[in-house]
Amino acid sequence: MSQWSESKLPPMESLSSLVDGELEASAVARACGQWRDDHETRAQWHAYHLIGDVLRSDDLATDGEHDAGFLAAFRQRLANEPVVLAPSAPSVRQAPIPVRRRSWATPMAVAAGFVAVAGVLVVTQMSGGLSLRGGQSQADLARASNVLGGTVVVAAGPASGAVASDPPVVVLNGQLIRDVRLDEYLAAHKKFGGSSAPGGPSGFLRNAAADGSAR
Amino acid sequence: MLSRLPAVVFAFAAASASLAYGQSALTSGDPLIEARETRAWLTRIQDAANKRNFAGTVVVSAGGTVASTRIAHYCEGRDQFERIDSLDGQVRNVFRHNDVVHTVWPQRRVAVVEQRDQMSSFPGLLQAGSDRVQEFYDLKPVAVERVAGHEANVLVLRPRDKFRFGYRLWAEKATGLLLRAEVLGERGEVLESSAFSEVSIGIRSQLDSVLLPVKRLDGFRVLKPVLVPTRMEAEGWALKASVPGFQQVSCVKRPFDGAVRVVVASGAAEQALQTVYSDGLTYVSIFIEPYNAERHSRPMYTAIGATQTLMRREGDWWITVMGDVPAATLRQFANGIERKH
Repeated sequence: MSQWSESKLPPMESLSSLVDGELEASAVARACGQWRDDHETRAQWHAYHLIGDVLRSDDLATDGEHDAGFLAAFRQRLANEPVVLAPSAPSVRQAPIPVRRRSWATPMAVAAGFVAVAGVLVVTQMSGGLSLRGGQSQADLARASNVLGGTVVVAAGPASGAVASDPPVVVLNGQLIRDVRLDEYLAAHKKFGGSSAPGGPSGFLRNAAADGSAR
Repeated sequence: MLSRLPAVVFAFAAASASLAYGQSALTSGDPLIEARETRAWLTRIQDAANKRNFAGTVVVSAGGTVASTRIAHYCEGRDQFERIDSLDGQVRNVFRHNDVVHTVWPQRRVAVVEQRDQMSSFPGLLQAGSDRVQEFYDLKPVAVERVAGHEANVLVLRPRDKFRFGYRLWAEKATGLLLRAEVLGERGEVLESSAFSEVSIGIRSQLDSVLLPVKRLDGFRVLKPVLVPTRMEAEGWALKASVPGFQQVSCVKRPFDGAVRVVVASGAAEQALQTVYSDGLTYVSIFIEPYNAERHSRPMYTAIGATQTLMRREGDWWITVMGDVPAATLRQFANGIERKH
C-alpha cells in the first residue's frame, strides 16, 4: 500500500487510464513500474483487459491458460532464436560517406519533385490548350515531350515526305491529351464501321472497343 | 519411301482440308483466282460476323492502352442482334437490332439512338470494294494457330502501295469468325491489336438481353441525332484528287452537339459534313465544318493506335481527316479537298 500512496492518482484509476491510453507520459512510466513490481496490479491489469474483451466479443472471453500457454511457447522460441549481430557504428574513415551521399541525394529528390510537378503542369496546360486556347507555341509541346520522357512525342513534321506547312506531329500514347472534339470525331468515324460490319477487316473486333476506350 | 509417306499424307490432308473450306492456298499466281480467293476469305469473315451466334470478351490494345469489351451477337433468320458492354472505364452498353443502335450510358442516364442505314449503305461496303481489295492488298494464308481456344487460319494482308496499312488476321477454321486482328505499320510493327480472350461460337440466342434493356430507358435523356444524307458537291465541296483505291461510300451532315456530353452547348447544334471513303478494307472520314477559333485551337496530327488524325484550318473552314491509314494518305486527302463556291 505504501508504494501506491506515492502516486498522485489512486492506483486503480491510473491503471484504468493506462488501459484506455489516456495517461500522461510520466504517469505511464510510474504505472508500468507498478505493473512490474506488484502482482495485484498485474492481476488487475488482466481483469481490465478481460472485461474489455468480453464487452467486445464473447469469443475473446477465453480461459487465461490459453494465453499463458501461448506466451510461454513464444518466450521459449524467442530464446532459441539466433542472436543477430548488429553492424558496428561507422568508423571515422567511413563517416564522410553517408554525409556525401546525403548532399547528393537531396538535390536529386528536389529535382525529381520538380520534374513531376513540371510534367503535371505541362499536361494540364496542353489538355486545356487543345480545346480552349489558341496560339500556344510549339515550344510548349516540345517541352512536354522532354519532360514526359517520350510519352508524348512531338516532331517538327511527319517523318518522311514532310511538307513545310504540315502541323506538328503529336503522337498520343494512351489518353494523356484529352480533347473532347477528338473523341467526338473518333466516335463519329468509328460508328461508320458499325460493330459487325466489315469496315475494317478487323471491323467488329476493333470498333467494338474502340469508342468504348475513348471515354 | 516409308519415311516420306506421312509427309505426303499430311500434305494431302492439309490441301483437302483447305479446299473443303473453299479456299486453296493462294499459290496459283493467277490474279483472277487470287482475287476470287481473297474475296472468298473476306466474305467468309464477314458472313461469320453477321450470321453466327457468338459471345466473348474482346481485348483491344492500341497506343499503350488496353480496353476490354464483352460482345454478344445473335442471328435469327434475317434479324441481327448485338450487345456490346464496355468493361473498362465508364459503363457503356450498345444494343443493336439490325440497323437501330442504342448506345446507353447508365451512370449518366443518357441514351443515344441511331439508325445505321442513315449513315451508309452497309453492308454494301465489302461488295463495293471487294474486287478492289485484291488490287491493293496481297492476301496470303500463312499458318494455322490457336486463338482463344479455337484453331484459326492466319491470313496476312500486305498492302501493295504506301497508302494503307497491312493486317494480320486470325479467322476461326470452322466458321471464319475473326478471332484476332493486328494492324501493321510500314515496317511491319503492330500498331493495334484486338483479340478475343475467350469466345463461344454457335451459342443459343438470348434476345432478351438485347431487346429488353432499350425498353427500360425511363428517366434517361434519349438523344436522336439526325444524320442528313447529302453530297459533297451539293455542299460546295469537291475532292479534286483522291487516293488510289478509295471510293466515296457515304456523305452525311451530322450534328456535332456533343450528343455524348452531358452539357449541350447552348442553342443550335454545330453541323459537320462527314464524307467517308473506303478501299474495301479500311475507311477514311473527312469532317468539314466552319472554322471556330474557340474550338479549333491548333492544327495537329495525332496517332492513337492505328487511327491517325489530321486537323487543320483551310480559310474559313476546319478540316479533320481521320482513318486507319498512314499519315501520307491523310495528307493526300486533305490536300485534295477543294471549295467550289
